[in-house]
Amino acid sequence: MSTLEVKSLTKRFGSLVAVRDVSMTVAKGELRAVIGPNGAGKTTFFNLVSGFFAPTSGSILFEGRDVAGFSAHERVGMGMARTFQITEIFPELTVFENVRIAAEVAAGYRLRPWLSRADTAELRRRVEETLALAGLTGKANRLVGELAHGDQRAAEIAMALALKPRLLLLDEPTAGMGDQETYEITQLVRRLHKDGNLTIVLIEHDMRVVFHLADRITVLDQGTFLAEGTPQEIATNDAVQTAYLGKAA
Amino acid sequence: MLQLTFFNVTNGLIIGAFYALMAIGLSLILNLSGVINFAHGGFLVIGGYLAYTLRPYIGFWGALLVAPFLTALIGLAVERLLIRRMYGRDPLYSLLLTFGLAFIIEDATRQMWGANGLPFSVPEALTSPLSSEFFFITGYRMFMVAMVAIVVAILFVLLRYTRIGVRIRAGTLDLETVSALGVNVRALRSLNFAVGIFLAGLAGVLAAGQIGLEPTMGDGLLMPSFIAIIVGGVGSLTGTLLGGLLIGVASGLTAVVFPSASEAVIFVMMALVLLVRPRGLLGEEGMMT
Amino acid sequence: MTPDLQKRAAPWLHVAALAAIWAALIAAPFWMPLFGGYTALGSRVLVLGLAAMSLNFLLGFTGVLSFGHAAWFGLGAYGAGFVLKWAVLSSPVAVIAGTLFGGIVGALLGMLLVRRRGVYFAMVTIAFGQVFYYIAFQWSSVTGGDDGLRGFERQPLDFGAFRVDLLHDDRAFYYFALVCFAIAVTLMAFILRSPFGRTMIAIRENERRARFLGIPIEFHIWAAFSLSCFFMAFAGALYALLNNFADPRVFHYSLSGDFVIMAVMGGMRTFWGPLLGAIVFVVLQDYISSVTVNWMSFIGMLIVLIVLFFPRGILGLVERRTA
Repeated sequence: MSTLEVKSLTKRFGSLVAVRDVSMTVAKGELRAVIGPNGAGKTTFFNLVSGFFAPTSGSILFEGRDVAGFSAHERVGMGMARTFQITEIFPELTVFENVRIAAEVAAGYRLRPWLSRADTAELRRRVEETLALAGLTGKANRLVGELAHGDQRAAEIAMALALKPRLLLLDEPTAGMGDQETYEITQLVRRLHKDGNLTIVLIEHDMRVVFHLADRITVLDQGTFLAEGTPQEIATNDAVQTAYLGKAA
Repeated sequence: MLQLTFFNVTNGLIIGAFYALMAIGLSLILNLSGVINFAHGGFLVIGGYLAYTLRPYIGFWGALLVAPFLTALIGLAVERLLIRRMYGRDPLYSLLLTFGLAFIIEDATRQMWGANGLPFSVPEALTSPLSSEFFFITGYRMFMVAMVAIVVAILFVLLRYTRIGVRIRAGTLDLETVSALGVNVRALRSLNFAVGIFLAGLAGVLAAGQIGLEPTMGDGLLMPSFIAIIVGGVGSLTGTLLGGLLIGVASGLTAVVFPSASEAVIFVMMALVLLVRPRGLLGEEGMMT
Repeated sequence: MTPDLQKRAAPWLHVAALAAIWAALIAAPFWMPLFGGYTALGSRVLVLGLAAMSLNFLLGFTGVLSFGHAAWFGLGAYGAGFVLKWAVLSSPVAVIAGTLFGGIVGALLGMLLVRRRGVYFAMVTIAFGQVFYYIAFQWSSVTGGDDGLRGFERQPLDFGAFRVDLLHDDRAFYYFALVCFAIAVTLMAFILRSPFGRTMIAIRENERRARFLGIPIEFHIWAAFSLSCFFMAFAGALYALLNNFADPRVFHYSLSGDFVIMAVMGGMRTFWGPLLGAIVFVVLQDYISSVTVNWMSFIGMLIVLIVLFFPRGILGLVERRTA
């Protein structure tokens, strides 16, 4: 059973068709990159999968289950987590506190008035574990809003991880980063892919990152499916070259 | 009975027209700038009092023409000096700001013109009733409705067919894109605010002719304006117009059967709309956040 | 800063500040007269401060803009008044009844509100408040209309062995109010430090992120809203007991606005800020209205100044310094 299966997904905004008849299947444990020129509908695609809005037509199956009608927060509960193109974090809380909230929700504590000592300790352990995975242990007590761009992204990814997702949607995680930060995030994603039981779908513009990480690549152009294949196949695909018109990373 | 109903419905339409005038100004400002103008009633008051002051010099018609413009200028100044700084901040602050402004305006009015009511006479020609049968439809009330109708029609035409109008409407839906297209958003907001205030000022002059002048005369219109917007639908100017007329008429109709509840009915309508169709009659989905 | 952060930044400072606050509150009837104050004023500040803190529970900690919160305050007041006037001659029962009345109505009406945000939410809350104002005004047979609900007074506390005369003994009432205040405030702090409280703060910090962490936003906002209504009604009930009187003004949006100003002035993002704001506001209002007829202009200008230059409030400024 695939983790994510999308069939003929279409999204219309009035007369604008952002995503047209896109289908793809992502296998369990796969790292799929979704690429395409600007305006290709990639983020819209993520918005549809994560439940930000509903599709005009088509279906989305998560682990074989149709997610239509499930709201965004419900899909998180089902095992989906995502990051955003513009980092969405809790700026005036510390890194630890950011991740803790995610961990609390994942543990089912969100309505709890009180946590026992044991629960608190367990929670703390989990948060610290996640922070270590994301390489943020040293920055745990810093306010996220004051961190460097790359660290904020890492924090956002840590929050997503704390949810113990089975599908992780990363929207341009290296956008706006310099080489060093890009490298670090790439390494982080690689670690996650290898260690966890995680299926990852990644929107990226930086081709180095894409070719370094992806098992398979799906190319979108103007909201439609253009090509799909291994990095090798995509690199030599003429249609893809044309679509990008020389706009490499 | 029919006579009474007709009387009350007409009355209701007249009041509704008034609510609509106020509400449309409020709605313009709310939709484009996200500001709830608590001081809207205050600008109505300014409009009325300015007309009163100007009247000895330029007569009723002069005052009717000039006072709303002057009020709009004051509004413009307020927008550029104060309200502009609130854009992009938590909506709480613009709300508080206009709330504070309302206090200042009320007190300043009291200070400058005194706390007591002042009369505002209207030209003879307007006050005579249309006919003995429809005695209650005095010329002035028809005049008010006519004025509102004309001004609202002009506004809608401007919004529909002029470049600025299109920009305002586009800005209501997506200010970021409009800005990206090179439109001077700050100027647009200022202008939009001034137009909204113009309408409030006009309402003030018209109200003065009907009920005279008083520092607190704007208060009673603020709530119905809010409700007109909620009922008609947030984000839709036509909706606001419709909302204002509807609650006015509902108010009038209720006065036939249940005079003491005629004010309450507008709250009931609001509650109904919230229960059954939260975005309002003509409101757009997703405009509520 | 979250309550946790405050604690972590300088734990001893936090404890010292807390001790100082409670010491000042407990000793108020004794030091207030030194500054020209009097005990009943202290009770008033306590009650209004609690109201401001209740509003801030929603406004400052969940980030939800309610500008009609006086509605629940008013319901608490009238609820307590009704009980004392027609049902049971007991202060605690009146307070509990008022609290439940305002809280339950608030929770029910809150369901109509939670789809909205920002200005639109604020608009509807304002309108709701005015509905109750209108009802209190018009339904004079029950509510006493413009004259207000009269003919009741706070009852003494009967502990069997001894009685505490709340009615005639200002000091006794002050301490009664202080105990109530302490209960409410402790409960509030408890909730804010709980996992649920943290979801409230998360929603304030970034609603979208909170949603995509799996938090059902509408439900949590409704829950926070309802809790704040209960606290607000509690304050309102105490207010009725304080004045032995309740009138429609207790619902008016200008009172809602006053509470917002207290919260903002004292520091919206802090726990004790609104109490400080209430102190400053009440004292200022008293002073200004005794000195000039134009107190409205002054309050208006104060609001404008705060909004322009001190949006973080007094405690907000202090926090910036110590952070």
